[in-house]
This record gives sequence, structure tokens and C-alpha cells, in this order.
Amino acid sequence: MSSTRTFDAIVIGGGLNGLAAAGVLARAGQSVCLLERAPHLGGMAAPDASGAPRMAHLLYNLSPTVRRDLGLGTRDWPFETVALPTVALSEDGRHVITQGATVRLADGSAHPDAAAFAALFERLTTYAALLRPLAETAPPGGAAPRLSPDRIKEIWRLGRMGLGLRRLGKPEMRRFLQILLSNAYDLILDELPDGPLAGLLAADAVRGAAAGPRAPGTVFGLLYRMGHGGGASLPRGGMAAVINAFAGAAGRAGAVIETGRGAARILTDQDRVTGVITDTGETLHTARVLSSSGARITAEMTGLAHFDIESTRRLRHIRARGTVAKINLTLDALPAIPGLPDELLAARMVIAPSASYVEDAFNPSKYREMSPNPVIEALLPGQTDPAQRGARGHALSLIVSYAPVDLAGGWDDAARDTLLRTTLKTLTRYAPGLPQLVTGAEVIPPDRIEAETGAPGGHWHHAEMSLDQLLTLRPAIGMGRYAMGPSGLYLCGASAHPGGDLMGLAGRNAALAALRGAP
Amino acid sequence: MSIATDPKLGLIDGPVHPRLAALNRARGWYGWAGYAAPSMLDSVEFEYFALRNQAALFDISPLHKYRITGPDAARVLNRLVTRDVTRIATGRVGYAVWCDEESMVIDDGTLFHLGPDDWRLCCQEPMLTWLLEAAWGFDADVHDESREMAALALQGPTAFAVLCAAGLDMGHLRPFELAQAQPGLMISRTGFTGDLGYELWTAWGDALPLWDRLWRAGENLGLRAIGYEAVNIARIEAGFMVAGVDFQPAHATERLHRAHTPLELGLGPMVDFTKGHFNGRRALLAAKPRSLLMRLDVEGFKPAQGALIYHARRREAGHVTSGVWSPTAKRNIALAHVQMPIAARRPSDLWAEIYTLEEGKWDRRMARLTPVRSAFFRPPRARATPPGQT
Repeated sequence: MSSTRTFDAIVIGGGLNGLAAAGVLARAGQSVCLLERAPHLGGMAAPDASGAPRMAHLLYNLSPTVRRDLGLGTRDWPFETVALPTVALSEDGRHVITQGATVRLADGSAHPDAAAFAALFERLTTYAALLRPLAETAPPGGAAPRLSPDRIKEIWRLGRMGLGLRRLGKPEMRRFLQILLSNAYDLILDELPDGPLAGLLAADAVRGAAAGPRAPGTVFGLLYRMGHGGGASLPRGGMAAVINAFAGAAGRAGAVIETGRGAARILTDQDRVTGVITDTGETLHTARVLSSSGARITAEMTGLAHFDIESTRRLRHIRARGTVAKINLTLDALPAIPGLPDELLAARMVIAPSASYVEDAFNPSKYREMSPNPVIEALLPGQTDPAQRGARGHALSLIVSYAPVDLAGGWDDAARDTLLRTTLKTLTRYAPGLPQLVTGAEVIPPDRIEAETGAPGGHWHHAEMSLDQLLTLRPAIGMGRYAMGPSGLYLCGASAHPGGDLMGLAGRNAALAALRGAP
Repeated sequence: MSIATDPKLGLIDGPVHPRLAALNRARGWYGWAGYAAPSMLDSVEFEYFALRNQAALFDISPLHKYRITGPDAARVLNRLVTRDVTRIATGRVGYAVWCDEESMVIDDGTLFHLGPDDWRLCCQEPMLTWLLEAAWGFDADVHDESREMAALALQGPTAFAVLCAAGLDMGHLRPFELAQAQPGLMISRTGFTGDLGYELWTAWGDALPLWDRLWRAGENLGLRAIGYEAVNIARIEAGFMVAGVDFQPAHATERLHRAHTPLELGLGPMVDFTKGHFNGRRALLAAKPRSLLMRLDVEGFKPAQGALIYHARRREAGHVTSGVWSPTAKRNIALAHVQMPIAARRPSDLWAEIYTLEEGKWDRRMARLTPVRSAFFRPPRARATPPGQT
């Protein structure tokens, strides 16, 4: 490079949050450069070379607010999404099919708890919708003067939320406040007998978390999952379509997107951000850096000396213990699952036969062991979208819990092999003969997720979504409103409010915060 | 973060306890970081005048002492304290103060630059965990040597003569300098009295022979062992503040807003905003001082300790944290927190409401206060190099 380049803002990391941040900034007229260390964009959403999902495989919470702010259309995404039914697999073949609030058995007969489930689902989505405005803005608080437009807007928003809460009516409001901080296990089993349906809800409440469904705060996990209606959907064209939409929006607005170039250091002078040195040695000048890396990594890139001692202590204690491994299998034929009609092979299939099973699966992870009977979310994306079938055969994408990042003895070949065998053994109970169909397998434990994407601890959300790490406390107190350390430095990744889950809101919120902050 | 000692344990003997116990005719002891330290050995007046007119020996071993070493030691310290430690040359000692993230003072102390990448921090409050936090992520080691290093303070106009008589000629040592006097004995020209004086640093087990050596040397030079009460008068005269008395160490406060920023303690010159980030810098830049720790001359002779301060005799405007009659300056002196903006703009109409109890009779008097800029007692001999022998 002959001359040094200067930008209004530099975004570190090209996952959905980084792309959302770059897009929002660029659309506000800022010159933006996005640096992605990997040769491709997408971070944890990035598909494999064939277009089949590699890590993330479904969308739950992709935010329409982000879509609007990226100029990607007011009504729908530029790619088609297919809402998938969910199958809670049962060993006896009496699989439970849910789609939204409806539930039935795989043989077409009515589910005995259909009414109770519908009522619970209705309640949870109502509560989630009530909480969603909290995610669509920076956490309350901050240093804005009392009568500033920002503060008045904030009070207005919180007031509306309070009003929404009142509108639930007294008994329902009470119920909401009662369960909000409580555990998913009790909530679910208060309404449903323990079985595949209860297990499905329990598994959804804790997927990605270092917690079992009996842990306090897991109801929040379930509400989070239902933040945008609760349905899982598959983007046609795969995650590539989502990433291309985000990257396209940023690119069209003028953002410079550079892959294969990571940030090595964040430069400061007189307590202000002045630039970034890339891992290729180039110095880029800027007054604003938005980092979608973890908070601690970002601080280390800037230099710990620029942070207060309390801050570095908190950074060190952010809990981000990934518990989920990704296994991508290639099958040479579709598996047969007794009791499940073939068209439902396209569904999201969950192995969590009861809520207690999920809690039991969690227990070994407390002692740094993997679950002997894991909770599995399985997807054959090619059944819905042939473009995601994989290079050969049928791609079977598996999310396997619990496989803690700090596994005793480490994630060596033997450990990965054990996880694969355990997973296949578990799958065989529902799909006999499946192991014989396997022609290829890739095991991605949390340590690999961390190595490839930079996500701290290989954690989906870069920091556990527990009550002590939410809102202004996310990822830690004192850095809960995106800005941290020297002036001009912002967090824009999943470790910032409101977290990850392929939502894009953290990046968008951070960009808005950066635009409000002094340049 | 004061030490919660188990009362059943009682106080621990310091390194020179046998000597102190023999000399402590008044049997006045107090607990200092868990150690039995003399408050008064026979009479405060004797001890005070020995300190100001001859020489005094005071065991300061209960101080907390931390060794910070390694390539990043100076960076860790610069991150910790508000002043620029790179300006403390090797072989020198610097006073320093450090804050929490809200710019409230955690403690103050002295920083000894012992050698390249080798520092010692001495302070009143236990600081190990805080120093370890400060050093996390840096190539520096923190070692608590509180129980390994003993220290004796030799202070007073004949202190130099006592040292010479003990065979330790430190004539070249300027104020705030330190030197290795002999293997295992480091001497610094520092102290807490504002007068000529030295502090002698040695291993815990070597403190007793050192005490005896000085004691013999001081026989004809008026050397006296003293307790804290005499030191306290001297330090108020010197204008030095004490943690827990003149300011509340931030980590030890349980109530909100009881601690103070360095600017509120009048330590502006100790703060270097240009050196880069230090703990609490951002908060300190944003903070508006609420009060100011002032040195005040009090009308009359009744010590103003604990007195409330009024502006124009009516409006309450602060309180005295340390007040004493200074026998040497012949003035009634006080350190006091005075509210802003009165402290900055109109400090001329300040009054202390002093309560006195004399033989069963309470009385109250309003004493006019006059702000004093420099120390109440600051003799030229404290800075003369080489120092005088008498």
C-alpha cells in the first residue's frame, strides 16, 4: 500500500453483526472498512464450500429492524425463508410434530397436550414480544442528559413496555414477572407431562448455554428463542444468501469489505482510537473501531493498559463456556426413522425425549465431561433446499449438546471420535441403520469453533446469556452500552447486548451508538 | 479492605518487639496491621520533642510492602498510580496515590525504584489482590514482602549523626534517594515527619541487631524510641494525610461517595493526565471536586480535631480530620475537608466549631480558620545535603 487509508469507522469481524454494523454506518454516510480474518464472510453462519451449513444451520431471530436499517426491504428479506416444522423424536416412534403453537403426533393423530402446549406457546411468544423492544435498542441508562431526545425516547420506550405489561392484565402480568427469572424445567412441567414435547422446549431453552433447564434464568433462554415468533426457518440458498444480503447492503452503501485480513492491533493516542494495524501489516486510520470479536480479545488488541483495572478484571471473568459441538455428517442415502413420514425428514428434528433427559445431559458438562446421552438438533437441509444438500450424498447437520469447551483431557482426536460415536449411538436409537449410511463426518467441538471464528470459548453468544450478563451488564458492567475503554472503541458482536443467534441487532445497535458518540 | 483479625489471636509481635516491650513503660500498644505497635512508650511530649530536637526510632515494619518486578513493572505501576513513575529514577523514592475506576483514592504510599524493573510499594492498606489485578496480562510479578522486610524509621535533626555513629555514612543521600548501605541493608532518605530522617530496610530477622546497632550509636545523640502519637503530631505538622483518618480508602468504604478523588485531597500535582491511561483517569477528568482537603491555621490553642467547619459562621461547610496544637510551629493546626466551591473561592471566612471538655464542663467556641498553603513545619535541615550532624 503506497498511502495510508483513512476511514470514519473500521469494523472488525465479518459475521452478521459486523456486517450489520458496517451496513448501518455506511448507510449513515460514514466511510467504513470491514476486516474479516477468514477468507470468507459470515463468521459462525458461514456455510461450507458446497453451500451446506457448517456451524449455524437455522434462523430464529433474524431481525426485521436490522433489515429495515440495512435498506433490505420493509416487508421481507431478499431471500426466501422456509418455516420448518419441528419433530421431537421419540424412541417408540410416537414422534411429536410442532409448528408454531400447533402440535400433533407424527401419525396424524391429535396430541393429548395440544391445548396446554398452545396456551404455553401463546404465553411465551406474548412475553417475548413484550421484551423484544429491549433488544432493539441499547440497554437503558447511559450518560445522556435527562432532557435529551435520546433520553426522552428511552423513557417513552420503557413506558410503552410498562404499558404493554399492564395490558396483559393483573394475573398474567404477575405470572410473567413470576416466571421471567425462573427455570424452564418447572415452567414446562407445570403445564405439560414430561416427554418429547416437554423435552423439546427444555432443549430449546438451553441450547448453546452452559446451563441445564433447571437452572434459574433458563425461561429467559426460551423467551429469547421466541423473540421473533419462535419458529425455525431455513433460508433458501443457505446461509450464503443471508450473508450476501447483509454484505450486499453494506457494500452498496459504500462499505469496503476486505476478507483474509484481520485486525492485529487497535491503535490509540491520548485515550482516543486512531487506527488499526492489520495482520498484513497495514495501518488504517480511523477514529472509530467497532469490534465484533469478544470483549476481552478486543481489549487485548487495544492493550490492557488502556483499560481500568476493574474493567480488565471483569473482562477476565466474563463467562463464555461453549457447550455445543457441531457435527456435519454426509450420508449416502436418506435415513429411515420409524414412525416418521418421509416429508418430515425436512423438519428440524430434536432428540430430547424428556426435560429430565436434557438436565441429565447437562450434568456431566459441569465436570468437564461430554454427555453420554446428548441432546441433538438434526437437520437435513437438502430436503428443503437442494442447494444445501452438500457436495455428495445428503448433508446431515447436527448440533450436539453438551460438549464443553474445557473438556477434561482436551479435544484431541480421541475425544472428537468419542463424541462422534456417542452421537451416532444416540441417533441409532431413533434411526436404526444410520451409521451404515455415513460416508463422511466432521466434528467441530467448541475449541475449533473458537479457533475458526474467534468466538470466546466457542460460545454461540460470545458470552453466556445469563441474567448477570444481560442488558447493561452485557458483557460486563461498565461496557454494557457498546462503548468500552478509549473513546471511539465499541463492541458490536454477540458479546454485546442483545447477544447473538444470527439476529444482527448487536451490530446494528452498536453502529447507532457509535454514530451518536463523539467521532 | 482493612484486615479483619481474629480477636482471639491478639496482636502479633513485630520484629523488634523485645526492645519495644522493654522500653514501653507506659504499656501503650495499638494494633497496626495486626502487629502490636507502641502508641506511647513513656510520654508523648518526651517522644515528640526527641523527634523534633534529637532523633527518634520508630518501627514501621507493619507497613504493607510489595515488590513489583519484571519487564512490565513500570507499565503496571503507571497503570496503577496517578503520577508518571517513569520519572522516578532508579535509586529514588516517589510518593504516589492510586484510584479505583471512579477516581476515588484507594490508598497512598511510597514507591521505591530499587533497580531496573524492580520496585517496592509501601502503603497502609493491604493491596496484594489489587496489585495482582493490575498486573494481570502484564509481564510483571507481584510479591508480598510485608512479612519478610522490616523497616525502622530514624527521624530527627541528629538522625544523620546517629547513622554516622553507627558506621553508616549516608551523607551523599539526598531527600527521596535510596542506597544499599551494606549487603542486606537499604537506607532511604524518607520519612513521615517532614524533618531530616531515614528509613532503614532489612530482612525481618535482621531488624533486632539493626535496632541495637542504632540504639548504641544514638546513646549520646539523644536517640529515643517513640510511639505513634508523637509521629502523628509530626505528620500533621508536615501536612501529611493518613488513610482512614484524612481520607477514606475507597476499597474500605461501605457507603456511597465517602471516598475522595486525588484532586479533592489536594494532590493535583500528583496527577499526570498526559502520561497515558491510569486507573480512574476518565472518571477523574469528568469529576467535579466536591470538597478540598485543606491545611488550616486555627485561631486559639484548642485542638480542632473532629470540629465542624462553618462558612460565615452559619453554613456548614466541612469538618476537621486531623487537628493538633503544634509545639514546634507554635500554631494550632488542622487538616480539613472543606466543601466546594467555598474551599476554592471564599476560604477566608471559615470557622471551626470546637467543643472542649475541661473538668466536667463542656464549652463551645468558634475559631477562625486561615488557609495555609505549604506545610506547617518544613525546616531547611530536612533538605540539606550533606545533612547537619546536630
